[in-house]
Amino acid sequence: MCLILSACAAISPGKTIERRDLPEAKPGPRELASIQLTEQGQMLLEKDKIDEAISVLERAVSVYAYNGKNYYYLAEAWLRKGNLKQAREWNRLAKMYLAGDQEWSQRVFDQRERIRTRTR
Amino acid sequence: MLFLGLIFIFVASGLLLYCLYLSYLIDKSFSARRWSIPSKVFSDTTLLFPGQRVDRSLFSNKLHRLEYRNVSHVPEAGGEMRITKSAVELYLHDLQMPAKERSGFPVKIAFRDYAIESITRTDKNENLPLLELEPEKIMLFFGPERQQRQLVSIDRVPEYLVNAVLAIEDSKFYEHRGFNLQSIIRALYVNIRHGTIRQGGSTLTQQLAKSYFLTPERTFTRKTKELLMALTMEIMYKKKEILEIYLNEIYLGQKGSVSINGVGEASFFYFGKPVESLSLAEAASIAGLIKSPGMYSPYADESRCRDRRNKVLHDMENLGYISRVQMEDALRAPVKVVGFTAYGKKAPYFVDYLSKQLPALYSAKALSSLGLALYTTLDTQVQEAAEAALEKGLARLEKTHRALKPTGERKLQGAVIVMQPKTGYILAMVGGRDYSTSQFNRATQARRQPGSAFKPFVYLTGLDQFTPATLLSSKPKQYEVDGKTWKPHNKGPVSETGVRMRDALARSDNLATVDLATRIGLDRIVKTANEFEFSTPIDPQPSLALGAYEVIPLELARAYCTFASDGMEPYPLSLKMLVDENGNVLEQRHMTIQNVISPAKAYVMSDMLRSVVTEGTAKSLKSMGITFPVAGKTGTTNDYRDAWFVGYTPDILALVWVGFDNGDTISVEGAVAALPIWADLVRSIPQYISGEWFMMPSGVVKRNICSQSGQLAIESKCPSQIEEVFLAENVPAVTCQVPEHQAYPVEVLKTWWKKLWRK
Repeated sequence: MCLILSACAAISPGKTIERRDLPEAKPGPRELASIQLTEQGQMLLEKDKIDEAISVLERAVSVYAYNGKNYYYLAEAWLRKGNLKQAREWNRLAKMYLAGDQEWSQRVFDQRERIRTRTR
Repeated sequence: MLFLGLIFIFVASGLLLYCLYLSYLIDKSFSARRWSIPSKVFSDTTLLFPGQRVDRSLFSNKLHRLEYRNVSHVPEAGGEMRITKSAVELYLHDLQMPAKERSGFPVKIAFRDYAIESITRTDKNENLPLLELEPEKIMLFFGPERQQRQLVSIDRVPEYLVNAVLAIEDSKFYEHRGFNLQSIIRALYVNIRHGTIRQGGSTLTQQLAKSYFLTPERTFTRKTKELLMALTMEIMYKKKEILEIYLNEIYLGQKGSVSINGVGEASFFYFGKPVESLSLAEAASIAGLIKSPGMYSPYADESRCRDRRNKVLHDMENLGYISRVQMEDALRAPVKVVGFTAYGKKAPYFVDYLSKQLPALYSAKALSSLGLALYTTLDTQVQEAAEAALEKGLARLEKTHRALKPTGERKLQGAVIVMQPKTGYILAMVGGRDYSTSQFNRATQARRQPGSAFKPFVYLTGLDQFTPATLLSSKPKQYEVDGKTWKPHNKGPVSETGVRMRDALARSDNLATVDLATRIGLDRIVKTANEFEFSTPIDPQPSLALGAYEVIPLELARAYCTFASDGMEPYPLSLKMLVDENGNVLEQRHMTIQNVISPAKAYVMSDMLRSVVTEGTAKSLKSMGITFPVAGKTGTTNDYRDAWFVGYTPDILALVWVGFDNGDTISVEGAVAALPIWADLVRSIPQYISGEWFMMPSGVVKRNICSQSGQLAIESKCPSQIEEVFLAENVPAVTCQVPEHQAYPVEVLKTWWKKLWRK
């Protein structure tokens, strides 16, 4: 029995690779450029210039699509514009790209709840 | 005497009535919209940042189209540039868009190899993380009169320009009432002597009347009308108003087939600057053009222009408008013009498509007169690359394949669409080989069979039940369709043992695909296609699996974008903003996405489509210089009528179609016809290639499988193991059942145990 069990332990069905975390590398040029634009977009949102913010954040997405904060702020902008469908879609993407960041994951979750509340 | 008096009253009454009629005419024209201002279509702005790879040649062309002109010194004024091997120095134009205003400043863009090394604002010695170049004017919607003007308020016009015009054209403007009796009498004498109109003697008001209302023929009748009109205008309007209209109306040159009207447009056309920035010498040059722009244009004859300008300056000094010192300074100034490129229609298919996106309010007439500004998603560098790649690719095919040479009736055609998958921005659109011979937009109007380019949607549907490791049957089989027998076939050899789903897609195995389709159910494939919003009708026949139905290329490109953007299908965007002539935003359009498939399925599909490029029908991409990760699918229809390649990365998607409009066979596959065009295009736009791959989302797992059985590999036993991706809910539970790989009975026990629980 012990021999069988140890054999079971020795034989694995193969490597298991779960979801890949993005490596903690220095930001590349596209990411740096996107971060600049994200900051601009965030400032415009704070000034309530929603359409301008969306334009800048769209540009940020086009430059570097992995920055989850862009999606978060886009969801925020569409929420303020009252387009809950778009807000939901962008929030979905924000959730995916910010899953590795606890603080931002919470913010994404809170945002999703706000969208849900507005939908009812 | 009484008779003479009656005649006088009769004539005077007639003249009065006629003047009343003229006043009605003038008021009607001037109180409504005075001029037709053509609407302008602009490309997107261009973002530059350190580290960005750039095609120097396309970038240089871009700068020329933005009307930056080469100088040999350090750029000092807006629009100047100096290009060296390692840097581009620019003095930026002002950027004037709604919510984006920036005065020009000097900047140096340093290059190392093919990438931007740094961007420095040289007046402040400040490194810039981002630089936005102004949008490029790609088209103007001209009306039949084909006039280009930029309206300026007279308050913006420098006083010395006004004085220059008055000095050379009408020094007594503020004294007369529309006509100068002295000049008329002198002109009358000369004209009667010669029996024809020789001299004008026209005031500014008369010139305005002629230009705005009358035909240019030189007759006494027309001159009389002009006189009466001028008189009426002087009664109706103040001098300042008349002057303002004149300065915006006057003809001042020609740019190809388009006339340059008004000092606002002329100052940009000749000197590349707004009217308020003109120097005294430049203002005098513009004033000097009025008499005969064709003769005195600096583009026609610089020395004649200078002589005329100097006459204007002398007249200004004589009249006391400028001092002698000012005059002498201006006389010394060289005539320095900026040069121009005649208007042409850039990206014509894109502009046509754009026009159709505009609301019904903006008819062709409205577009040619309202002076709107349409800001689009077009990237002119990508557009240039796409047009060049298509033309080069089609010419190469015609050269290497005799059957494809043009005949009187047909010429090989193509279409290219380039989009950003995450945003839906249409970066380039080429709807045909030559717009001047055919305006039919094959990217948006053609309905062609996608052939194998449709297969990804079949495999996508299959992911609910099967995995990339599932073995499909590649054995020849026949099907009954509407009472007829249909027997699909493969182009290559048939596998006896079955083919894995991944490999079947990579090699574009027809038999395996039809096997998959019949196992899934055709209705489900139709449902999938409908979820992607293909507008063309889909028939649930087995041949659907091989793309034997029609699609619109833009819709196919959009559907593929879904794989490249985490399952979100974007709305294809061409127009971003519509602005009126006063800078007010009339309409703003943003990215719109909708979730069609899960991010996990999108990732698995992209992973499988990557195999098409690494091992499958598109593997020749590597030899074409495409060494970064790409996913894609070739497409070839029955009888080789259509050749496709749709390829994408996380940053860019491009679709290429090649075929004949009349459906004749092109006799070559997608990999031969469309793939090289795609490669040429993508190599030319390195700014859109990050070299990265998609982020694996949650819901996707990787396992090693046995390449022989397609089942989970037994480590150390299965000789050939491959890492495969699976949807988390479809991870295979069965380990490899190949007897030779079963060394330990415990594996048999494990498999039996699992099967028992499943039951």
